[in-house]
Amino acid sequence: MGSLFKVGFLGVAHFHADSYARALRKLPDTEIVGAFDDDTSLGKKFCEDFKTEYYRSASQLLDKELDAVIITSENFKHYECIIQALDKGLNILCEKPMTTNLRDAEDVVARVEKQKVVFQMCYVMRYHTVSSLVKELIDSGGVGKLISLVGTNKLNRSLPLLRRWFTDPRLSGGGAVMDHTVHLADLMRWYTGDEVDEVYTEIGKKVNNSLMVEDNFFTTIRFRGDVIGHIDGSWTYASGLYTWGDVRMEIVGTDGALFMDAFRQNVYYIGDRQPNDKLSWSYYGCDPDLAMITDFKKCVQENKQPRATVKDGYEGVRISLASYESSRRGAPVKP
Amino acid sequence: MAAKITVAILGYGFMGSTHADAWRLIDGCVVKGVWARDNSKTSKFASERGIKAYSSFSDVLDDKEVDVVDICTPTYTHAEYAIQALKSGKHVIVEKPMALSLADADKMIHAADESGMKLMVAHVLRFFPEYMKVKELVDEGKLGEICQARAFRGGAFPEWSPWFGEVEKSGGVAVDTAIHDVDYITWISSGIPQRVYAKIRRGAKEASAKYEIAFINVRYKNGMIAFIEASWAHPPSFPFTMKLELDGTEGTVTLDNQSPVPISLFSRTIRQGYAPESLPWKPMVHPFPLDPFYRELSHFVDCVRNDKTPMTDGRASRRSLEVCLASVKSAETGRPVELPFVG
Repeated sequence: MGSLFKVGFLGVAHFHADSYARALRKLPDTEIVGAFDDDTSLGKKFCEDFKTEYYRSASQLLDKELDAVIITSENFKHYECIIQALDKGLNILCEKPMTTNLRDAEDVVARVEKQKVVFQMCYVMRYHTVSSLVKELIDSGGVGKLISLVGTNKLNRSLPLLRRWFTDPRLSGGGAVMDHTVHLADLMRWYTGDEVDEVYTEIGKKVNNSLMVEDNFFTTIRFRGDVIGHIDGSWTYASGLYTWGDVRMEIVGTDGALFMDAFRQNVYYIGDRQPNDKLSWSYYGCDPDLAMITDFKKCVQENKQPRATVKDGYEGVRISLASYESSRRGAPVKP
Repeated sequence: MAAKITVAILGYGFMGSTHADAWRLIDGCVVKGVWARDNSKTSKFASERGIKAYSSFSDVLDDKEVDVVDICTPTYTHAEYAIQALKSGKHVIVEKPMALSLADADKMIHAADESGMKLMVAHVLRFFPEYMKVKELVDEGKLGEICQARAFRGGAFPEWSPWFGEVEKSGGVAVDTAIHDVDYITWISSGIPQRVYAKIRRGAKEASAKYEIAFINVRYKNGMIAFIEASWAHPPSFPFTMKLELDGTEGTVTLDNQSPVPISLFSRTIRQGYAPESLPWKPMVHPFPLDPFYRELSHFVDCVRNDKTPMTDGRASRRSLEVCLASVKSAETGRPVELPFVG
């Protein structure tokens, strides 16, 4: 096709803005037109790093000729960014969680359906080679009928501290539950092809007591078809961990069991600054960000439905909010 | 010279033979005989080991030489045998779970109190070297306060003994198997379980469709949360696996019994996962510095000889049983169960 794909960033507060920008720069015929962030220094730094233009307001950026925006602002600002972009009829790639409350999520679903733009959720695990292979294995009957899924998407506790908004509930909408329920919940929905019927969450004592948000939780879910799932997206791994965290899943079916450790392809590096200097992992596996961005471009240019849709975004919000509700009530809830 | 201790074993199954082997390693301990309900199997077990085959349980109780009754029978028989043995003036070590109801557990505790004999429940996980190492790190303060614990224990459906599959006899996977991790996590964290929420899935009764898997979430009074997955749902090719992960305010620790393999043997004459009886090892070798069953029984012997309270006495073990029974109730009702649990 060859026509230039023009993308702007609405908010760069999430770390992933950087990885998506790196991915965009690897794509042919693609231009990062500019970025807006209400934190001027963060926005300018991003624009220097990726050699693009910083805009002082979202509307200035949206007045430029654009095919799509990538929304990587703080969670709480996603809704406003989505509405602004939809008002301009732009295609959207939206960081997770889609919104921080259900009313906004419902509104986004209705507007996207009406406007017929491409709205893709950054559920990057749907584009990861390992988790996609697992999907194929399950669909081809590799483990028989699904019985249970146990997943961890745990994070090194030092990482959320690098961008303070993650731990400010007014901007993030919550802690580990809001941040790290959705990848596993979405993978489990994808693998079962089913919707979650019941959610029970225990929020535990914090490993970092200075946080205003939760960092430690377990969520037990049940699907309509009776498959059970367990989600641990805690930010509890000690900060000296050899890597950032994990996406692992144990899948048990009537004919077998399958273990996925999606980011396990690493070489081991050991430092030499002091005795027993710690070991760290250097990842050489697939680049799911690049796969996701490539697919987004394709969906926009060929007007195709993305793999992770606005509906999937909505379900993620629904499950995360049900988790908070369950934890408050000390009881299982229907999302 | 330590005082001689004479042991009678009840049960000729996997645990009975494992304990019989371990008793032989302990100074001053002698396994005099064995009894179980099937006389011909009892005789076979006895003759293979050169020990006496008791013809009835009351013969065991009447044998004045017997100091210790080691109960390795199916779970549903534990309470009855333990209570009678304690009342007959025998010290008792009984396999886990101690019983299948809190009422029975209370009767066992009462019988031990009344008789003044020792009662220990064989929570052997506490004596596994990797779990002892984790306990050591926790005690040294290397983890700070433990905030979350995750445990996995599982493998194939226990086909070797059909009673496991009968929930009313074994308690099912949530009681029989998860109790190891419930006991261990509660012990190392010094936590008080407060609330339990669980899901259990079971397959059909036919042998080919049998499976059972349990998710147990435990909330402790200090805010620690624990997740225990216990499975009899993995395929027969899956090796028996134990995993543990703890996150504390000061650190993280992980354990996986399949991960540290110090010796791997690949041979033209031995198929993977199979070793003829004549070989001293299996293809994957995990040598322990000391056998955990030896350590467990040694602890019991120390308590008997020196009048100490076993670390997993009736009361400590009842607490783990309570959590597991509450998990079954939670799975049945679909609701969290607040502790204390009353039947």
